[in-house]
Amino acid sequence: MGYEWDFGVVLRDFDLLLWGLVNTLKVTGLSLLFGVPLGLFLALWRLYGGRLIRVPVGVLIEFLRTTPPIAQLFWFFFAMPILLGIEIDPFQASVLTFSLQSSAFFAEVFRGGIVSIDNGQWEAAKAIGMDRNASLRRIILPQAVKRMVPAFLERAIELMKTTTLVGTISYADLLYEANNIAQSTYRSLEVFSLAAGMYFVVIFACSMGVRRLERHLGRTGETTTG
Amino acid sequence: MVEILKIEGLNKSFGDLTVLDGIDLSVNKGETIVVIGASGSGKSTMLRCVNFMEIPSGGRITLNGSAIGTASNGSVTYSEKELTGLRARVGMVFQHFNLFPHMTVKQNVMEGPKTVLKCSAVECSRRADKYLEKVGLGWKADSFPSQLSGGQQQRVAIARALAMEPEIMLFDEATSALDPELVGEVLLTMKELADEGMTMLIVTHELGFAYTVADRVLFLANGKILEQGDPESVLINPQQDATKNFLRGHGSFRLPEPNLD
Ligand SMILES: Nc1ncnc2c1ncn2[C@@H]1O[C@H](COP(=O)(O)OP(=O)(O)OP(=O)(O)O)[C@@H](O)[C@H]1O
Ligand SMILES: [Mg+2]
Repeated sequence: MGYEWDFGVVLRDFDLLLWGLVNTLKVTGLSLLFGVPLGLFLALWRLYGGRLIRVPVGVLIEFLRTTPPIAQLFWFFFAMPILLGIEIDPFQASVLTFSLQSSAFFAEVFRGGIVSIDNGQWEAAKAIGMDRNASLRRIILPQAVKRMVPAFLERAIELMKTTTLVGTISYADLLYEANNIAQSTYRSLEVFSLAAGMYFVVIFACSMGVRRLERHLGRTGETTTG
Repeated sequence: MVEILKIEGLNKSFGDLTVLDGIDLSVNKGETIVVIGASGSGKSTMLRCVNFMEIPSGGRITLNGSAIGTASNGSVTYSEKELTGLRARVGMVFQHFNLFPHMTVKQNVMEGPKTVLKCSAVECSRRADKYLEKVGLGWKADSFPSQLSGGQQQRVAIARALAMEPEIMLFDEATSALDPELVGEVLLTMKELADEGMTMLIVTHELGFAYTVADRVLFLANGKILEQGDPESVLINPQQDATKNFLRGHGSFRLPEPNLD
């Protein structure tokens, strides 16, 4: 193989890649910030809402989970503004899309976690006079969340990878910047390798952090029910 | 005598299946009542109707003089708020302990006073210490349930119920899930409660315990109280054939009194 690696030209534009990474983290972070709580509410509505709430919420979740994320992104960026007569920039459209899209997945993670808790826990909480909200808040969710950590991490990683679609509406995330640099320097091999490396470092660091958190949670308290 | 609990004409069906069929019972303060009966006779359901874990299909339950629910033209309706309030006044201990695994022993016991009764931190802690001491587990306050034996877990569950300072305690086969060598410590704790004057409604298969501790024994069959009376008359001199058959089944393998001197 006679390929001569040359990171020099690429590293000259490294600050662009870094800005791209910051934008990727911004979209991912905000989508998590909105998507996780929204996912919790969707899960609770789907589980405990009256039929008038439960059914539409279920349909919404399935819709968000089954349609391609890029179609959702295009819809919020190109279609919704026409429908509502509003302006929306690529950043807003990205956060909106991925908050909603990931909330549907987080809803399923929450739901799975909640229903995995033994019914005896509900009964014990009820028997000392707790209502449903108190039982959820104090007894069920703390246990469910602990079990959900791996699934959460999985979804968060998936989310960060899915945000690479924002380049299609010209939002300057890491992949978008890499693509630009590759086109101007003709050094695709170097630049995409570097970009992939940056995704890896961030995601790997996050999963290590979560694993430590999990071990910590595992120490304080137990997951087995007597 | 103060009547703590009154059950009148209690019915409960699940779909077509009638599980409780006209139960009448009056429990006085400090009384210990043991309910026995074959599997499926409705013992658990009866207990669960008393604290409204199951909503009765018919009849009326009165706790300490106040009738639960609102009666209007023949049926009784219950508001969720009234029921959560009622459950805080009735303690229940389950076969499977159901301790909260993410909390320490002490946090388990404080949870009700804290979240439901909104007691001050000092009062929550005082109650937890007091009732853990009572069940002999003060020294396990900072352990997690998973670090305890089954018998210890069940005693914590008893302390958790007691910390609400309930007007009556319900026990549904509290020793059935325990290894035989752990049954004794839990029964002993229950006996101490009875001796201290706690009002208790106990479902159990431990007939020796029933004989020693009960003020009154009820034999339930097909959702009806078929026979009741003091332990001597129900457990030793039963009148009904169903009671006799039940006791025959339970007494098939009996040891003579061990000589322990
Ligand atoms: N939630 C429910 N839905 C439908 N049927 C029920 C329900 N709970 C109890 N049953 C039925 O009611 C009947 C009485 O049940 P219950 O648990 O009260 O009996 P039990 O006397 O406590 O029996 P065991 O000694 O086995 O605990 C059984 O036939 C049971 O299948
Ligand atoms: Mg039962």
